[in-house]
Amino acid sequence: MKLRPILGYSAAGATLLVALLTPFLLMGLFSKGVAALPLHVDEVYSGGPTGRAIPMGAYSIDVHRPVYPHFLQSEKPFIQLDWTPVSALPQHVSDAVDIDGDGQPDIRVSFDVPRDPKAPLSVNVESLNPRYQAMSNVGKNQFSRLIVRVNYDKDHAKDNVNDDAIVVRVPLAKP
Amino acid sequence: MATDARILPLAVRPAPRGILRSLLLTLPMLIWSLLMMVYRPGASPDPVSRISGLLTALFMTALFFMMMRTHNTYRWRRIFFVSLGILFPIGFIHNLYVMRGSMGIPIEEMIAGRTPFCFMPIPLLILPAALTRTLVFPGSIAGGMAGMVGIWLALTLVMGKGWCSYACFFGGIEEGVAAIPPRAKIRKLDPRLRYLPWAVLLAMVLLSLALFEPAYCMWLCPFKAVSEYVAARSTIGLIQNVIFVLLFAGLVIALPFLTKKRTQCSWFCPFGAFQSIFNKISIFEVKIDQSRCKPCLICQNACPNLSLSKESVARGETLLSCMKCGACVDACPRGAVIWHIKGTEIAWKPERARLMFLYGAWALAVMFGGTIIAQGIAVILHVVV
Repeated sequence: MKLRPILGYSAAGATLLVALLTPFLLMGLFSKGVAALPLHVDEVYSGGPTGRAIPMGAYSIDVHRPVYPHFLQSEKPFIQLDWTPVSALPQHVSDAVDIDGDGQPDIRVSFDVPRDPKAPLSVNVESLNPRYQAMSNVGKNQFSRLIVRVNYDKDHAKDNVNDDAIVVRVPLAKP
Repeated sequence: MATDARILPLAVRPAPRGILRSLLLTLPMLIWSLLMMVYRPGASPDPVSRISGLLTALFMTALFFMMMRTHNTYRWRRIFFVSLGILFPIGFIHNLYVMRGSMGIPIEEMIAGRTPFCFMPIPLLILPAALTRTLVFPGSIAGGMAGMVGIWLALTLVMGKGWCSYACFFGGIEEGVAAIPPRAKIRKLDPRLRYLPWAVLLAMVLLSLALFEPAYCMWLCPFKAVSEYVAARSTIGLIQNVIFVLLFAGLVIALPFLTKKRTQCSWFCPFGAFQSIFNKISIFEVKIDQSRCKPCLICQNACPNLSLSKESVARGETLLSCMKCGACVDACPRGAVIWHIKGTEIAWKPERARLMFLYGAWALAVMFGGTIIAQGIAVILHVVV
């Protein structure tokens, strides 16, 4: 038998082996390999990494780093703020937020917190710093200007543990 | 050249295998199916899930038995594939309604990284990921994307573009529709249309890079109509959903019915074009033994994916887009279209090549597609029982 057929049958046999090992070993290995790559989900979706947390008594405001969309992306630059946990929020929130940490409030954010988690939200943002745009009665039409209630960890949430956050995205003004 | 004793006589189809021999050949698949569908670690203890798993294992084993007994691949594979195409939306849509009460993806689910990831966006993510390390999909890497990419990599190593015949959970819908009419109403198809998926792939890859979004999923995927779609929050969302429905109605329902071809796969699917590249690394292929070929071009007419042309038949090979469904092999009256392992002599024990391919492909079809079928059956059982 010549070399090429031997190689062909060896490869075919190896392919069968790959098939048999897939559910037990390879699928997990490949998945872990992909997960280990230095990749991240686009920040327009994820909101970017959290920069700092502002304690507000029973709850806190997580301030994310500003997100600047890429090249032709239709969204505008924005900054994401998370009010968490929702269970500790009062029925009406009206907070002055110092986003850049200079000791001066940059925006005042006001929204109602309905008891029903599925109830629609709307937010008003008063701009106290020209870097941040004001918003009036905004819901969730765009990734760069919205208010939504997000359960980041639904799969691991237990009866008494609430991972809900109210996410507000405020567009940045053009420099 | 192989000796005549190893070649089937001209114009004679192989006789059915004996039942005992077919059963022996099927036995490994029965064990595998039970292992994957019923006894796998982590399987749900819910009795309905166990029953649906058992039914699926028996279904997949029975189809494999018929493949062994009749030497026919396409007809039995199609039964599996159409079942997959029908039962995937049933299970998936049911899960969506249970989880969120709608097929639309709300923006908060995207922000939380809970958009289910199918294989379609894989080619669209490569360039943005390579250039900016960013995945332009609103999902979770560890919680979905890595898993699907892992499955896709493993299955692609085994099947190449066979993915489109043994794993794709969308293609079965149009294959089922194409099987309904006895004859094609439209027979003359412009051969240049087979280059369209490459054009769609190129356009979508570039658009995804420019717009930083999975452009095909956002604008053109016909299967959004039967899976999940962008919640119509605005006029643009409404337009997107209208496009999904129109493309589904045209490419997945109307044209397959009129042409008896998988038109979405043949003329549109960018993932299919991308997957064709992996036929180059797949060790299994379909060849044409020119010493037996007339050529009558029955194989070309039988191919559901326009993967054979007059020129390719003359060269003794299929086109790069061949999905290894086996339609041409089964249709050839002279046994000239054969399964082949690269590197081996043409027509040297083609049945051995077929068996080696089928064991790998079917094992993974049971693992991947079988699980989806079992979920669909479980939903039906839950509703009915």
